[in-house]
Amino acid sequence: MNPRLDSAPLGVAVRISRIDWDAMSQDEGRRLREFGLMEGIEITPLHRGSLFSRDPLALAVGRMQVIIRARQAAMIEVAPTAP
Amino acid sequence: MTAAIPTIALAGNPNAGKSSLFNALTGARQKIANYPGVTVERKAGHASFADGRPLGLIDLPGSYSLTPASPDEAVTRDVLLGQQAGERRPDALVVVVDAANLDNHLCFALELIALGLPTVVALNMLDLATRDGLTLDPAILSRELGVPVVPTVAVRKRGLTDLLAAVDGAILSHQTQATAQSAPPPSDAALHQRAKAISRAATLCETPVRRWTGRVDNVVLHPVGGFILLVALMFVMFQAVFSWATPFADALEGGIGVIQTWVVDSFPDNFLRGLVVEGLLAGVGAVVVFLPQILILFLFILLLEASGYMTRAAFLMDGLMGKVGLSGRGFIPLLSSFACAVPGIMATRAIPDEKDRLTTILIAPLMTCSARMPVYTLIIGAFIPAQKVGGTPIGLQGLVLFGLFLSGIIGALLVALVLRRSVTKGNATGFMMEMPRYQWPRPADIAIALWQRAWIFLRRAGTIIAATTVILWLLLTFPQAPAGQSQVEYSIGGRIASGLEVVVAPIGFNHDIALALIPAMAAREVAVSAMATANAIDAGDNEEAMAEQLSDRIAGRWSIATALAFLAWFVFAPQCISTIAITKRETNGWKWPLFMVGYLFALAYAAAGITYWTAVAFGLG
Repeated sequence: MNPRLDSAPLGVAVRISRIDWDAMSQDEGRRLREFGLMEGIEITPLHRGSLFSRDPLALAVGRMQVIIRARQAAMIEVAPTAP
Repeated sequence: MTAAIPTIALAGNPNAGKSSLFNALTGARQKIANYPGVTVERKAGHASFADGRPLGLIDLPGSYSLTPASPDEAVTRDVLLGQQAGERRPDALVVVVDAANLDNHLCFALELIALGLPTVVALNMLDLATRDGLTLDPAILSRELGVPVVPTVAVRKRGLTDLLAAVDGAILSHQTQATAQSAPPPSDAALHQRAKAISRAATLCETPVRRWTGRVDNVVLHPVGGFILLVALMFVMFQAVFSWATPFADALEGGIGVIQTWVVDSFPDNFLRGLVVEGLLAGVGAVVVFLPQILILFLFILLLEASGYMTRAAFLMDGLMGKVGLSGRGFIPLLSSFACAVPGIMATRAIPDEKDRLTTILIAPLMTCSARMPVYTLIIGAFIPAQKVGGTPIGLQGLVLFGLFLSGIIGALLVALVLRRSVTKGNATGFMMEMPRYQWPRPADIAIALWQRAWIFLRRAGTIIAATTVILWLLLTFPQAPAGQSQVEYSIGGRIASGLEVVVAPIGFNHDIALALIPAMAAREVAVSAMATANAIDAGDNEEAMAEQLSDRIAGRWSIATALAFLAWFVFAPQCISTIAITKRETNGWKWPLFMVGYLFALAYAAAGITYWTAVAFGLG
């Protein structure tokens, strides 16, 4: 199984290889796409959680930063970026 | 063209600088209301073209697409499609995009342009894009999008004249050409690809991003350090609310006293003078003195929001709030509720998940709002000795106050936990939001927002609170008691209070409290003004009694157990008409406000009872 975004190391750019659209609600999926999270896109996980929890996750998508929950990140498969 | 003044709508993604552009175009000439039937704020204003012809502007809620994910976004879509009740379809559209985030913002822009309205794109925050090392060509962007593109820097009022001229031109040329193109809406992916291609084409030069925001975030979002910083900021904020406000509050109080004395000295003693001095001035004055505190709290909240920090705070709090079934999005409304639950509940509109939003609304009244401060301050001042705790510099009074704040927060978290497992059960869809870049808040934007908050508060003091105080004064003044009997006890109000006293006597409440609780349904702080009014009437012409401070008077009449029970009651009691009204509006019906009132009164009764019985058991009765 490919590594998933919720366990991807911080500060390392990865490419989205697959998103399990069926596992999330329509609204969730749409909001992800509106944030520019789609297959083939390059993203960088930046910050994860605080003192009490590993949730949420902040990502860089292009020039934008977005916050998602670990649960959603677990539905996103990532692969190393092409060298 | 219609002879009517053209209406121009501002639309765009959240964080595109839309509100700043709206403020820059309209100045203070704006009006905030609600769209009828829904609870979304309608911001409208006026401006004029270069030749002086007037135009109307509306600032639509920020959205990511025309497929709405929240009530706010639904209004944006409906207004733009001309389906919003009571709202004419705008004559033209200004699409505001963040120059530094074209990849993303152009998606919504493309959707908006496809609507076929006369459209101009405002390429906003161009200065920040330049700071980030981007060089853009508006001409290429305009050619690719097929609409005029005007570079603007809203915070410096740059490009505004050009923008309005372009809008004028777009309206004129639109009439001469038929624009009937209704291609099927492209898929999200296609839209994104197109947006990206356009953005690439318009970008002349892109140096590696200077991660200024990134470097700040490494500190601010640090798992431990960031959290400590957040707690420290909150601490400073609450300290400031109490210490900075004191001189202003004292000045206001002094001012009201001067007016009271002047009225007493200038007019003969009659019915009207009593009403004004004992009713209106005593009652409304007791509330208006809290304006400085409310404004300072709002100043902090507005600054944190405008700078981009609030989203970081939401990020840090999300993990914790997720444990009780809320999301970090709820942090901002709940923090605002410390000032007042009404704007707090209104701010829940940004929470997309319905159950999450409802839970946040239901617990918002548990945050210690500024209206409780008069009550807490009065009782603490009267009963808690002003001494230090065991040799530390921490004052006992401050500690009790902190304990009351904390009880509210813990109560709210527990209630949320229970609600999310019962009445508002459902999957937490989570927390998805954009993290804006840091920027300096624009003083004029802050000033406008502060003024609007102050106005809402003063209007409330001038209407609801003034009316209840006057009614209470009348109830307490009639019928006139025969000599030797207490006027307050004898009056209609006193008799109603005696009835209520039967219900609240088991939890240690006396006649004074029963009397204060009824008008305090309108607003919690009225409890204080009601006691002040009753005190003033009871004192009558007795100069000595008149001079006696309200706090001294109740300190002599109440037991400590009763005072503590009264404090515990106000941690929970939903005594605020405005909160109930806003909850009805925000939840579209009476079901949830009634539920809220019911569960909060039950909690208040239980909390006051437990406090009283415990205190009595410890010999404080």
